[in-house]
Amino acid sequence: MTKNENIIEVLDLVKKYKDFTAVNGISFSVKKGEIFGILGPNGAGKTTTLEIIETLNKPTSGDVYVDGFSVLSDPWEVKRRIGVQLQSTGFYPELTLVDLLNMFAAVYDVKIDPMKVLKQVNLEDKANTFVNKLSGGQKQRFAVVSTLINKPKVLFLDEPSTGLDPHARAELWDVIKQINKEGTSIVLTSHYIEEAETLCDRVAIMNSGKIIKIDTPKKLIEELLKTGFKREVVRKEATLEDVFLNLTGKGLTPNE
Amino acid sequence: MSDKKPSQLRAYFALTYYAFKASVRNKSTLFFSLIFPIVFIIALGLIGNSQISINLGIPQNEAQNPVTPVLENISTVKIEKGTPSFLLEQLNKGKLDAVVDVSKQDAGYAVEVTSSNANPNTSAAALSILKGVVDQTNLKLSQVTNPPIKLVEKEVEGRKNRYVDFVLPGQIGFSLLSTALFGTVFGFIALRRLLVFKRMFVTPVKPGIILLSQATSRLIMALIQTTIILSVGVIFFQFYLPHGFITFLEILVISSLGLVSFLGFGFFLSGLASDENSAGPLVNLVSLPQMLLSGVFFSADLLPFWIQPVANNLPLSYFNQSVRIVTIEGGTLVDAAPYLFGFLAWGAVMYLLSIKTFKWE
Repeated sequence: MTKNENIIEVLDLVKKYKDFTAVNGISFSVKKGEIFGILGPNGAGKTTTLEIIETLNKPTSGDVYVDGFSVLSDPWEVKRRIGVQLQSTGFYPELTLVDLLNMFAAVYDVKIDPMKVLKQVNLEDKANTFVNKLSGGQKQRFAVVSTLINKPKVLFLDEPSTGLDPHARAELWDVIKQINKEGTSIVLTSHYIEEAETLCDRVAIMNSGKIIKIDTPKKLIEELLKTGFKREVVRKEATLEDVFLNLTGKGLTPNE
Repeated sequence: MSDKKPSQLRAYFALTYYAFKASVRNKSTLFFSLIFPIVFIIALGLIGNSQISINLGIPQNEAQNPVTPVLENISTVKIEKGTPSFLLEQLNKGKLDAVVDVSKQDAGYAVEVTSSNANPNTSAAALSILKGVVDQTNLKLSQVTNPPIKLVEKEVEGRKNRYVDFVLPGQIGFSLLSTALFGTVFGFIALRRLLVFKRMFVTPVKPGIILLSQATSRLIMALIQTTIILSVGVIFFQFYLPHGFITFLEILVISSLGLVSFLGFGFFLSGLASDENSAGPLVNLVSLPQMLLSGVFFSADLLPFWIQPVANNLPLSYFNQSVRIVTIEGGTLVDAAPYLFGFLAWGAVMYLLSIKTFKWE
């Protein structure tokens, strides 16, 4: 069972498809209140891992505990405790933002004030707009805030800033930091290294279905430097991207 | 997070309400479900109101005779005058059913009738009308006032079956089939592609509730469609409801059962189709034959003999037949039961097949 300070415990997780092992025996835990990043190249198994924790996918073996509940034996308890932002929108195109928030409130059986919710992410003036009419940054902010309706204990963000311009990205980061400050643990995947460096308390680096390293961004960089690593053009001594490339031997590419 | 377990009932009502709201806001759904059938009913209702008439051509320089005035007085006969060559041309084109030329001959008259085989039914009718008129006139001219054989006409008080009475049940059936097929197949493909289902799967709502709410929102749409089509029929075309409001309720019951059954086809095909492109042909493959063979626009009795066993057993045929039993025939739901079971059986098979094909992603 989970220790008290961990919101998520992943135990020896394996996911096999016919002749392909997407996740190959990984274990890690996410502490309460932290922002945890999962980094890895395409096909590393990040999304599969995330989907198993989110109860969207079943593991071949192993188990995951979220807030003390197993995704295998208590998926409905897990679903109540999490918020999930998918890579693309996931909303009816014909419903307004207020409609969508009210719908999710009913699904979680909670009472909300849609305008208050929208105010959290500066979208009050878009209350009666359809999702398709929002800009990329507004869409992502709405997607994130729509996951907060059930006051989840842990929030999953799958590549939240993909396709956003730097300004919209900075705004989204502020939202994520604010949510975390209010006590929600956050797990995010990213191919955007600066994002991991700015937001994450700890990161796990995945490659070929395995976790190679887990630590704080700072420590990972220090560790790399100790091995004598030097960037070719030394302006900043090293970035997390260097750590990542050094460990996986692959470049980070978007669209995973 | 709240402490109580979320209510699936509240989720069901909300998902139904919002699925319905979304479908009403969707222009193509609205068009196919409501506008289309109304336009059809109005167009077809107007066709049905024109009376059968016999068109006779009479040369313009025809001599005075006792036959033509009698013909002119028959309400179903329309007379067109013109030169003989013009009339013949019209006859060839099928615009006239017969050309009648009455000429003086010896002591009496000769009635020369030229008919064409362009419209065999109406030209036969034209001939028999003429024969009657000629016989009648002969008797009169021979001063026979008391012929040995008399034709006594009696009319039974019956209801006139008009085209609208036939076609309206077919329109209800076809619009429900469209909602269940087009609405569900294209709707589900879009909801899959936009990850709307996936987004719901990370919430505590059960998949069965999601599916049930989708079905319910379509059921509400179906009841509205049926009500609107019936209202247009009753208000503008005096569509006949033999037992008034009871018949209306019976049609609503049949419509509900019909939609539930047709949804089986929608679920089945939405699982087979991977995207909008593959869905189009699949949906048409199911809906087009039924539009032609199931008595939507014309009775299946007019179809070739060999195809009738197929036509009569299609789900939409069963549906249309059951509605016609409570409308045209004035029967009850019990009378319609064999046909209800007919389309429900189709539905059951489709639901079983959907278990194999259905996919959320």
